[in-house]
Amino acid sequence: MRAPSSLKQEFLRKWILGLQICSSSAKSMSISERKKAIKLSADIAMASARNGRTSWSRALIASASKDDNHGKLFVQQILGSDCERLTKISTSIKRLRCKKILKKSSGTIIRRRMKRIPDKAVASSIAKQMVNKRTQILKSLVPGGVFMDEVSLIEETLDYILSLRAQIDVMRSLADATEMMMNC
Amino acid sequence: MSSRRSRQAAGVSRISDDQIIELVAKLRQLLPEIRDRRPQKVSASKVLQETCNYIRSLHREVDDLSERLSQLLSTIDADSPEAAIIRSLIM
Repeated sequence: MRAPSSLKQEFLRKWILGLQICSSSAKSMSISERKKAIKLSADIAMASARNGRTSWSRALIASASKDDNHGKLFVQQILGSDCERLTKISTSIKRLRCKKILKKSSGTIIRRRMKRIPDKAVASSIAKQMVNKRTQILKSLVPGGVFMDEVSLIEETLDYILSLRAQIDVMRSLADATEMMMNC
Repeated sequence: MSSRRSRQAAGVSRISDDQIIELVAKLRQLLPEIRDRRPQKVSASKVLQETCNYIRSLHREVDDLSERLSQLLSTIDADSPEAAIIRSLIM
């Protein structure tokens, strides 16, 4: 499944905006500093290309705008006027869902201790536990995943994977083009 | 079964099994490992595991590409014509 080219174009446009910020300090940056700046601006650019339509992108932007290094700067530059609107939404969603999760988890623990599980159900409960465990890992990998319910998580994961692939395609093209230019 | 129950409940938070199955199928389409195998025999747990591995590998690629770009851009001789092109584009 190839990523739509309009998404890539949008990403590239925003990424360029972000990278131009570093141009003045570019000479004094170490390789690892520049790498972090490139990566951060790419992530923020891809998230902003989703225009606040997905949870993961809003969560990524929200956490980046708290970053001390260049995060806040990139967010302001890349998002422009949308900056305030998008960062505000994420915090309110976070607070709401935190309460939901606390309530849910305390209920489950008590229930498990009191119930006696018959042998036949053991296998299916193990399967369920594995799914739960893997779901938790997935939640830690997708930005803002810990606040999502299962259906949203899968939907967000789908979008997140497509966006990552688009981001990688564009970054690879730029790296290849730069390399080619330097070798001739 | 539980899917019937959830459809009757009609609340916003109750989700049907069919919805989940459909989403998981879409997810499987994206995963390079599972796409080519026997379609119906893959468990949800396996799909989740493959998804996590795939996302981790995508993160690694972003990281590697950032590293590669950083090195490329730093080795460009500052006064060369190539640098001017790239500078006008991004840096």
